[in-house]
Amino acid sequence: MNSLIATYGRPLSALFLLLTALWAVGLIALPQAVMIERSLWVEERDTSVELRINALYSSLELKRFDLADAKSEARKTQVAEQIATLEAEIKTLEARESAPRKVYTLSNYTRMSSLHFTIFLKTIAYALCVTALSLMVCYPVAYAVAHLAPPTRAALMMLGLIVPYAINELLRVYAWLMILDYQGVVNTLLAWMGLVDFEARTWIPFLESSGSVFVAMVYTYILFMVFPIYNTLETLDHNQIEAGRDLGAPTWRIHQRIVIPHAKPGIAVGCLMTFMLSAGSYSVPQVITRGKAGDWFSQLIYRQFFESFNWNVGAAYSFTLLATCIGFIVLMMRLFKVGIRDIAK
Amino acid sequence: MSRASQLILNVYLIVFFLYLFLPLGVVALAAFNAYPYPSVTQWQGFTVHWFAALAQDSRILTGLWHSVLIGLGVIAVSLPLGLSGAFLLSHLQSRWNTVLYSVLVSPILIPGILLGVSTLIFWGSLGFGAGLVTAILAQSSFIASYAMLLFLARLQRQDPTLEDAALDLGASNLRVFWRITLPFLRPTVLTAAVLAFLQSIENYNTTVFAIGADWTLVTEIGSRFRFGLSPVINVIGVVFILITVAAATAYVLVRHHELRRSHAR
Repeated sequence: MNSLIATYGRPLSALFLLLTALWAVGLIALPQAVMIERSLWVEERDTSVELRINALYSSLELKRFDLADAKSEARKTQVAEQIATLEAEIKTLEARESAPRKVYTLSNYTRMSSLHFTIFLKTIAYALCVTALSLMVCYPVAYAVAHLAPPTRAALMMLGLIVPYAINELLRVYAWLMILDYQGVVNTLLAWMGLVDFEARTWIPFLESSGSVFVAMVYTYILFMVFPIYNTLETLDHNQIEAGRDLGAPTWRIHQRIVIPHAKPGIAVGCLMTFMLSAGSYSVPQVITRGKAGDWFSQLIYRQFFESFNWNVGAAYSFTLLATCIGFIVLMMRLFKVGIRDIAK
Repeated sequence: MSRASQLILNVYLIVFFLYLFLPLGVVALAAFNAYPYPSVTQWQGFTVHWFAALAQDSRILTGLWHSVLIGLGVIAVSLPLGLSGAFLLSHLQSRWNTVLYSVLVSPILIPGILLGVSTLIFWGSLGFGAGLVTAILAQSSFIASYAMLLFLARLQRQDPTLEDAALDLGASNLRVFWRITLPFLRPTVLTAAVLAFLQSIENYNTTVFAIGADWTLVTEIGSRFRFGLSPVINVIGVVFILITVAAATAYVLVRHHELRRSHAR
């Protein structure tokens, strides 16, 4: 801190401090904290009050009929009095109804239905599978680009990785929508082979299964695994590999003892990013299923906010996802013995 | 490496790159199909009709305008934040450094939808309804982290003696910042601004939660998948692909050139 002031002076240092504080508190910490707080209470709307009000209204209607039917003057005043008390009671009850009480409770979490909990588990399980598959597919690619290809070909392959990586996420998902659609590429191929018939509508409804969401997710997020691994492998001195080979080590042993230990931080980052993106992906299930298949957890969160307008439950679901992702980060850091500094490079 | 394993690796790489590019080819090809539903298999003749249709699609053009506004807003918010964070982190020498670092990079590591949700809840309670402003704030929270990492990497390569020398020679703190630090950071400022703008335009998962009833180019594309899917979307895909290929080629050429130069030395 002192060196900051010594170099840039008090006013500038204070400005840096202020801006950083605004960011850390106003855009990161407070929003998360408010979200968590919001997940911890419910607005207690007394449903019995609502029922009671409805009952009172129907008896009020009856009394009004009575009033119209009343023959004697005495009967009229009696009914009118009853109406007045009813109206007064309705008024107090309605005041109570429109001012719901804020009650702190864990019920937003514990009330998660078994269906929603199953969806949560499905989302996490699929995200783990996407991560594992991406790691297996990408490790050889990253190694080939970093250490096997001659410079010009490596540059070309780099280009081949950057282009699909930089193309909009939605368009990458859209490609698979077109491939797996009812009359999409795959079904047309099947039709050519005579396996399905468009006239008879016997096409295979890929888009209505979770499997197609999985396929599109792998395609959409796989490159988030390549680049972190490539970045760490690029710093590995090729002479180490040569030395291993000269000393007679077989290829698998070179990878086990030299390459993978060096790539550890990259593997950890790749896994973190891929898992986080798949577990929190709203775009892939939204585009692929188009409401024709079961929801994913991110869609449940969206519905709580924008369809049920139940922000407290939405906040609880969000925090569930947040906690899961933080858990995964901690797990990866332990597993690969890397620090937070190695992670974000 | 033996010939057999070399062959296996080459086949593997070819399959992998085909896997990456064929789906994009499908998207691009359907943009030129006269069939009114995006398809490459029901081919009804070559057309550029959908390009004209895009030019007249006012909702998409408004979305693009919103995206540009948000992108500029994100540059204006996230660069000063990222720069301040980087200055603080590169000068803070205590265990608070790691704490601050963890907080400031955390938005990169948590799902984007959560940034959208938390921004919506917090800034909504302060009276900012969901819209362009909340979209800027939600996106800036994580784009600033990327900017900070870029600045931090650059600051680590800075020669601190330059600043010290200027101070010894009697320059004021402001003058040191203006004449030495900022010029040193200028390339990174440019890179960070471009990256921030691109990331902002691309973003879907965070924006869709924070944007409310407004829309950007990308959220509009997202809603078209449900209602009104037409080859106009594929035309946007073609435009995105062309821009990306041009930008990526430029980037790789520059990088290749630099690598060559550093090897030659």
